Amino acid sequence: MDVFYQQLINGLSLGGIYALIALGYTMVYGIIELINFAHGDVYTLGTFFSLAILTGLGVSGEVHGLALVGVVLVTMLAAMLLCGITGVLIERLAYRRLRNAPRLAPLITAIGMSFILENVMQLWKGPSPISFPAVIPNPSFQAGGVEIAAKQILVIVLAIVMMVALQLFIRNTKMGKAMRATAQDRDAAQLMGININTTIAMTFLIGSALAGAAGFVSGVYYGTTWFFNGFEAGLKAFTAAVLGGIGNVAGAMLGGFLIGLVEAFATQYIPQGAQWTNVVVFSVLVLVLVFRPSGLLGEAVPEKV
Amino acid sequence: MRLGSALARLSAAGLSAALLAACSPSSTTTQSTSTSSAAPVAAAAGNVIKIGVELPLSGGDASNGIPTRNGVILAVEESNKTAIPGGFSYAVDDLDDAVQGKHDPALGAQNTKTFISDAAVLAMVGPFNSNVAKAEIPLTNDAQLTQISPSNTSNGLTQGDDGRKLRTSHPELNSFFRVCTTDDHQGAADAAFAKKLGFKAVFIVDDNETYGKGLADVFEAQFKKGGGTVLGHEHLNAGQTDFKALLTKAQNLRPDVVFFGGTTVSGGGLLRKQMGDSALKTVAYVGGDGISDDTFLKTAGTMANGSYYTVAAPETSKLASAKTFVANYKKRFGVDVGPYSANAYTAAMIEIAAINKAITAAGNKMPARVDVTKGVAATKGFVSPIGTVGFDANGDTTAPILSLYKISGGKAVFVDQVNLKT
Repeated sequence: MDVFYQQLINGLSLGGIYALIALGYTMVYGIIELINFAHGDVYTLGTFFSLAILTGLGVSGEVHGLALVGVVLVTMLAAMLLCGITGVLIERLAYRRLRNAPRLAPLITAIGMSFILENVMQLWKGPSPISFPAVIPNPSFQAGGVEIAAKQILVIVLAIVMMVALQLFIRNTKMGKAMRATAQDRDAAQLMGININTTIAMTFLIGSALAGAAGFVSGVYYGTTWFFNGFEAGLKAFTAAVLGGIGNVAGAMLGGFLIGLVEAFATQYIPQGAQWTNVVVFSVLVLVLVFRPSGLLGEAVPEKV
Repeated sequence: MRLGSALARLSAAGLSAALLAACSPSSTTTQSTSTSSAAPVAAAAGNVIKIGVELPLSGGDASNGIPTRNGVILAVEESNKTAIPGGFSYAVDDLDDAVQGKHDPALGAQNTKTFISDAAVLAMVGPFNSNVAKAEIPLTNDAQLTQISPSNTSNGLTQGDDGRKLRTSHPELNSFFRVCTTDDHQGAADAAFAKKLGFKAVFIVDDNETYGKGLADVFEAQFKKGGGTVLGHEHLNAGQTDFKALLTKAQNLRPDVVFFGGTTVSGGGLLRKQMGDSALKTVAYVGGDGISDDTFLKTAGTMANGSYYTVAAPETSKLASAKTFVANYKKRFGVDVGPYSANAYTAAMIEIAAINKAITAAGNKMPARVDVTKGVAATKGFVSPIGTVGFDANGDTTAPILSLYKISGGKAVFVDQVNLKT
């Protein structure tokens, strides 16, 4: 049973990162029906920005006490801001003019954006994996035979806090309302006096900022990054968004955690399971889509974003 | 989405290849090599014979690819200072087979086709990775273009039914050779080494590639034969970066050593790094030559310490025959030799010797590729920095040497050497 709980923790930490990335996919899809392939690379950019900020702050090892809180907050918020700005710029430069074009055009543009970001990052930090300073002291806690590392708690808690904050923002603020209205019917929303461009830019800002947060968290969690990090993570996060019902925020969270858990448990309980994790994950996806074509929460909450 | 990811991969290959070719420093080195070396002979374009170099020259594999390529450059530069029959001169033509930072069989095959269509290319050195070789051998076999790999250790490339299946067009004439030993030797050496260090229970992980899985399977069989216990054998997914679940599974079986079959970029570096966050922190790590690069030290960080690996080449600093080569290499490139530099140098020297002979036999004219292949196949007792080299009927070296290293203090320290003379 100990192993079960250990894998539960592993799965939740991995799933937390997937979920944070999945939110960006689902928000953008919800509002302009675009699969933003560059999103995985914005996430990688988040790790790169965090690394640059930590280097700028002169942090190269463990930080303790109040300084730790300061460093984590400053780095994460700055990485979120920079990623958010990148997201807005991508939308402004690459997607806005194609908003009314046939749907394949922005899709290809998104793939192109992804390559541009990957190659820019490759030029920036080189093609090899880069190590990320171990900022957070990593004591582990024993709880009934299960060892939980501080980093894992951080990942899970941060992911949940971000998601709750996002839900509250979308439910309770004026901008959140505008986003939901735009997602439902762009033309009608415009007629009601909502500034569509600002609203969509805001969506990219928030989605990309969450990817930036995921980038910081994964840098701290894995202690390493490289320019191609976002491909695999982006694919899994996109799968998470589809699994949960693309366009649905709660669904993206659920999908993210679910995929993380499926990966961890498949590794543990299937003989030679590590090589089958992708097969299991995508089988689950296929099965869910067969019985619930719009994803797990796609129908329960028809309203997008 | 399927289409999306397929598209992404497809265009990733083309785009990154173009971009990398444009920004990689390797292309400039090559050009300067060919122009400067061609100068004393004042050869016209038709008088230059090219040695095609097919290696991963960018990305995580580049820390192995570039020192290996440099071995060929040195061989070509030295050969150009000697008398070459027919007034020919040699040049290096290198192509990179890394896509998005990792060696790629499809791009390797494409590069090989480029070499085949260039009549000036009479021989190739490369590739570095066995799965890339698998895609290239049928092409070079068809074109009867000589190919010597400095580092491919997978048995199936040359031996048995698997080897025969790759030689489709000319089953009788082998055009693929290697100056390194094979995985049955490397895996056996790893297993013997693990036993010698006192390890009894191993957890095996491989990357499911031609090289990695082959090596891990041999290790598993040999380790069991030597009385060791194999607690588990898992395979990784391509592109996997999170190994926490796998390590949780492994740590509950309480191994005293983890064996990795594969390369640094296919998971070997990150797996070792993440062991640091698990209960396997103090457990030893053993691998083949796939993790014998600087990228491993960088990726695994301080966790690299306590890892062991073998290299399918002699430790050049311990070989009297390699002294001149090591000194010349340092003088030319300003850095120490890589683990496979001497192998690549030897591969190129064998090819150049065979080409020189073929030129003379053809009446000081450009020889046919097949004559070069026949010349290389007949190589016996070739004196080189890595000892006296020859090829058997399969194209495998008759002088297999393996070196064992341990990483401590962030550096690879030579431990032992085995010569498995056949």
